[in-house]
Amino acid sequence: MNEVVVSGLGVVSPHGDDAQAMFDAVMRGESAVQPVFPDLARPAAAATVAFDERRWFTKLQLPGVDRVSQLAVAAADLAVHDAGGLTDVDHERVGVYVGCGMGGATALESAYRSGGRVPPLTIPAFMPNAPAGNVAMRLGVKGPVITYSVACASSAVAIAEAAKALRNGEIDVAIAGGSEALIVPGVVLAWQAMMTLAGFAAGEAARACRPFASDRSGFVLGEGAAFMVLETAERALARGSRVYAQLAGCGLSCDATHLTKPDVSGQQRALRAALKQAGLQPADVGYCNAHGTATKIGDGVEAEALRGVWGAASDTLRVSSTKALHGHLLGAAGALEAVITVLALYRRRLPPNAHCDRPDTSLGLNLVPTCGAEAPQVQAAISSSFAFGGTNATLLFTRT
Amino acid sequence: MSSLKELQDLIQEKYGLDATALGPHTSMLGSGVDSLALVEFLFDIEERYGISIPDNNPDLDTLAELAEIVDRLRAAQTAAAQ
Repeated sequence: MNEVVVSGLGVVSPHGDDAQAMFDAVMRGESAVQPVFPDLARPAAAATVAFDERRWFTKLQLPGVDRVSQLAVAAADLAVHDAGGLTDVDHERVGVYVGCGMGGATALESAYRSGGRVPPLTIPAFMPNAPAGNVAMRLGVKGPVITYSVACASSAVAIAEAAKALRNGEIDVAIAGGSEALIVPGVVLAWQAMMTLAGFAAGEAARACRPFASDRSGFVLGEGAAFMVLETAERALARGSRVYAQLAGCGLSCDATHLTKPDVSGQQRALRAALKQAGLQPADVGYCNAHGTATKIGDGVEAEALRGVWGAASDTLRVSSTKALHGHLLGAAGALEAVITVLALYRRRLPPNAHCDRPDTSLGLNLVPTCGAEAPQVQAAISSSFAFGGTNATLLFTRT
Repeated sequence: MSSLKELQDLIQEKYGLDATALGPHTSMLGSGVDSLALVEFLFDIEERYGISIPDNNPDLDTLAELAEIVDRLRAAQTAAAQ
């Protein structure tokens, strides 16, 4: 079986499109969350991306290309550039693995609001596999180009599937990640109706999401895209590529109990599967970038799952949820948080568990302080994503 | 009056193609206006003039040909209004 390493990172995130600068901003605890759509009946907040599509597309390239695909093309392009390009690989041996929860929300919203005449390219713009198709066209990728729509675990699953294809020798290089862009009034209203979004007082939007805090009240939506270039360790070594980390283990499971209610044992199966594939013990892993949606139930279940698997080693596992700062990117969350996890390992700095002035001590987690932490000894880290639908995904990265 | 100039202005605004890049008899497809871009351009024209361009012009590929169709439809529209 081939070992899989991360050799390129690309993001178009609420904290900008430079992965290292994004990580710096997250380390500083800067929140990208701000109020949106003041006309809505209830206050809404989200972390949006300042994106200039003209940097990536000519006007002629834009028909039928929704924002969700635009962000994907840009982030994938940045990841490939970061990895040194795709010039020395057979493009039929390259795959694109994309997580996307919803697809082109802007196109769909525009169709609803068009007043009768629906724009003719609404379908190709909003179909959930459009981001993957657009990335493949931009980069000339001719191997497997696959979309995973698994709600909040979409892009973590995409990365896990890419790693599997690399391990099995089906491909030589994977461009894996996710994209989501659904900050439009109709979708925000739907999420408000779901009763999982954080409440906040006027002027407090930036701190609305407080994972693992005793005063937590839910998450805020985010948008963006994140990709990583994965390749076999052998290939990376042969071409002298910089390697950020090894993707040593991936764990997938399903609760099979409830469509939206998280489940301790389901999450534990994913955590254990990732450890097993990596051949590591819980005590070997020093950092967890948690799913951490800051809901009352969700954070409690995740904490119990972590404590159950880590047992006596729970104190050595430091935990933070960076959703406090970049929002919940849903289908792209797993990819963005995987990039942050990889950079935490690479730079040996742990992102803060922000906005947590009053930690919920009943959870029994060793939270990263709100100022972040240096971690000179950290060798392995996990990133967890747990989805509506019951699918759980844990990615385990190690230093090389 | 021909709609050609207006269509040239419209495609320049929409896709950045000026008259030097896309003459009246230049192939739109050959200038980068693929089928998706063309269908969106036709949609904009229909919105602008309140006309419905019939879906029976499979070989339509130049602004001059398009202007001819638009002129005919606008003339019929004017005649119907009188």
